[in-house]
Amino acid sequence: MTVRSYFLPRSLPEALALLNEHEPELLVLAGGTVAMPLINDGISLPEAVMGLRLAGLDTLERSGDTLRIGATATLTQLLRQDIVPMLHEAARKTAGWSIRNMGTVGGNLFTPPPGGDVAVALLALDATVTLASTRGERTIAIADFQTGFMTNALAPDELLVAISVPIPIGPTAYLKFGRKHANTPSVVTVAARVEWDGDRVAVVRIALGAVGPHPIRARAAEDLLAGTDLGPGAIASAAAAAVEECEPFTDGIATEWYRRKMVGLFVGRALEQLAGGAAGEPR
Amino acid sequence: MNIRGNHTLSSQRARVFAAICDPDVLLGVIPGCREIEQTGDTEYLGLISLRLPGIVGTYRTVVRLVEADSPNFGKLEGEVEGSLGTIKGDATFRLTEAGSGTRIDYEGHAAIGGPLARLDNRFIEGLAGSLINQGLRNLDTRLQADTPVRVAIDRGQQTRETRA
Repeated sequence: MTVRSYFLPRSLPEALALLNEHEPELLVLAGGTVAMPLINDGISLPEAVMGLRLAGLDTLERSGDTLRIGATATLTQLLRQDIVPMLHEAARKTAGWSIRNMGTVGGNLFTPPPGGDVAVALLALDATVTLASTRGERTIAIADFQTGFMTNALAPDELLVAISVPIPIGPTAYLKFGRKHANTPSVVTVAARVEWDGDRVAVVRIALGAVGPHPIRARAAEDLLAGTDLGPGAIASAAAAAVEECEPFTDGIATEWYRRKMVGLFVGRALEQLAGGAAGEPR
Repeated sequence: MNIRGNHTLSSQRARVFAAICDPDVLLGVIPGCREIEQTGDTEYLGLISLRLPGIVGTYRTVVRLVEADSPNFGKLEGEVEGSLGTIKGDATFRLTEAGSGTRIDYEGHAAIGGPLARLDNRFIEGLAGSLINQGLRNLDTRLQADTPVRVAIDRGQQTRETRA
């Protein structure tokens, strides 16, 4: 262990000042579920670490049509809310209870695939992220935050402080396929939602996890569904498009070939769920 | 580590090649690059700081352009050194015309030593590809921004002069 300084700021301004002073060598730790295995394995050797658990970023509150999630709200907190059922489901299917107690929603956006199951749901929900520094705050779409495998839009002096989720007005579907029923890395994760205009699709979002450098939107599939009735033909075309546009990889969980096959199957199933409509959902 | 890929930029080949050899441009486009200086005719010394999930570090980087056939082809050799280990390798890039823009094809090989070598190869190669893509996107943006800005300023001055 090489850590010489450990900072535990009691507020966001204090955290931002510390980051400004000590970047680029300051490792920011939220739940530690990404960083600690790397540190314990001797791969990451930070000299200075800042823990965010007392910085007051763990709130989860509804404001009008938006759910605002503090970056260090845990996955367990997300599991306990029922304002956005898709996020409850995503948290439920992420890791096991001990990791959910430590892992944070903000941290999930930094988790390399096949991790990052909550981030897939946030992408389908058109969430935005608020990034703060001593220079001020900015808010960007989550689709613009994740820029590549393990890379993001954070400037060296910025912290991810909150995630804002517009509460969806139509049905949503969240399917995670792993090798086990629980506590399993993803072969593919699909988060999808639709907003209806009468019996036609007005807005549709399909986000895929574990089949790209970060959670990705299946935009070609979405384009094929706009204006349709989400019938079997449209679903089959969209699933085929998603298979084409995803960028799967091979790891110890699944091969690239198998992941691609499963994208077609699970995008189809998620869209069938949306077409059926959940009880009480408008159509 | 082996990496290969391609990217299409909207500027002409000569400008792209010149930009790749210009320390001032490189400073602005290489992800995490904090300092860069030309230490010889074809040698550059850079300091790159990266905040990755769970891994922070600063890396001293030496890169030499060992073969250059402007604006078609270049070969680079280099070493990266930091507390997390060393990366030593070489890379070639080829520029071809693609409509009014340029397609860059690159290929590189590197040997990794130290703690970084314990990281899964999928992570190392994924990360390298991601940083290269980010750098090339930045380069494209930088080159695109250069031309129109000058035109806009010129037009602005003309407009102001006309009004004056």
